[in-house]
Amino acid sequence: MRRSWVSITSFEDFLDAGGIVEPDDGMPDRYRHAVFSFIEFHANSELMGGLTERDWIPKTPGLKHKMAVLAKTQDEIGHGHLLYMIAADMGVKTREQMLEDLFAGKGRFHNVFHYRAHSWGDQVAIAFLVDAAALISQQAVFKRCSYGPYKRILKRIIAEEGFHMRLGEDRMMRIAQGTQLQRDMFQDSINRWFWPALQLFGPDSKPDDELLRWHIKSERNEVLRDKWVQKFVPLLQSYGFVIPAPELRYHQAEERWDVGPIDWEPLQRTLRQGGPDSARRIGEAAENWRRTAWVRKALQGSVAQ
Amino acid sequence: MNQATDNDLLINKIRDAIERVEDPEYPGLSIIDLGILESIRLTSNGVTVGLVPTFSGCPALSLIARDVRGAIARVDGFGEVEGIEKVEVVWLRSPAWSTERLSPLAHRVLAAEYNVSVQVGSKTPRCPRCGGETAERSIFGPSRCRAVHVCACCREPVEVLRS
Repeated sequence: MRRSWVSITSFEDFLDAGGIVEPDDGMPDRYRHAVFSFIEFHANSELMGGLTERDWIPKTPGLKHKMAVLAKTQDEIGHGHLLYMIAADMGVKTREQMLEDLFAGKGRFHNVFHYRAHSWGDQVAIAFLVDAAALISQQAVFKRCSYGPYKRILKRIIAEEGFHMRLGEDRMMRIAQGTQLQRDMFQDSINRWFWPALQLFGPDSKPDDELLRWHIKSERNEVLRDKWVQKFVPLLQSYGFVIPAPELRYHQAEERWDVGPIDWEPLQRTLRQGGPDSARRIGEAAENWRRTAWVRKALQGSVAQ
Repeated sequence: MNQATDNDLLINKIRDAIERVEDPEYPGLSIIDLGILESIRLTSNGVTVGLVPTFSGCPALSLIARDVRGAIARVDGFGEVEGIEKVEVVWLRSPAWSTERLSPLAHRVLAAEYNVSVQVGSKTPRCPRCGGETAERSIFGPSRCRAVHVCACCREPVEVLRS
């Protein structure tokens, strides 16, 4: 059933009362575009994350971990697939346009996928620190998400990301209890990934953030970031690792950790596709898309018959 | 009480404990409702639990086995009964898991909580939201045991659990 609203105010009242928007509704254009861009960003991030994970299938130590990495790759690509479906359904861009923008360096995706994973330790740090950050921000979106199809897909994504995090935690504990060489490797990985993971939440939310007003996000970026800091700083320390923040402080009275000033320049660079590994990552994804054109063509042929 | 009744009681307790083990990919759904538990057998010095994987390459197997061992270790009376302390969890190669092993509750929870429909036989899976017919978009989704369909009626992407 198609619903529509006479004004943006009545639409916002509907959202404030916990209303859920469905694809056939006559939603305001600005809302449609804001939700679309948010889902497109998420879909791109799942795809780029899946491709990173795929790079590690042949290099993952041991059959058990290799199986998990294979399955995680499929998870991420599958999430991207579902998200591209609901994004395309909003009628702003087709799936092909979104992918072509991404491969032309015009699409945005999470900052963490603009960096290179140098070692197995980095993969563990990603599964543990980055997946946790993504999970925290997805849970906050799910809590109040006003767009129905996205809310329903998020529920499954969150269940699966939670499972990835358990695998990441498992690997982290294994490395923490390993040899000095393994612990040193993981400390290097923490040094590389602590700040990008923290910056995944983005800079402080603007006071009039539309995404908050329209109940796409339910929490301000800085609140979610702080949640992550309060959990992971003491956790990493309890395993004997050092937090790479020279101005790290514990405020006794408030019982909270403070990582000191955050340099946002690295994040800004990734938004301009100028991160340390952006060019290679986007280039390889584009090359992959080009090389598999014949598969898509063949599939279309089989549908046409 | 004779030995046979004691054993039955213990098996029931173990079964109750396993009932509380949730599938890591579907929190809120017991592995028993998913049809993963095949057998519980008391041995001379412990218990052997036979499980069937939905797919043999499923990455959750070791976590599920660990959760089952943990749940049984907490069973009241286990380990106190003399000579019964060893828990063995075995992933069986037969019978093969199929969607027919899902309980009616599993069907309901998958549809209501996860928007997941189930492929049983060759029947066209229905959309959990509007009941419309779905059409397959790809044979694999985020997991090996699920395909991706789309509802012909409300356009909702529907994941379909299949064997």
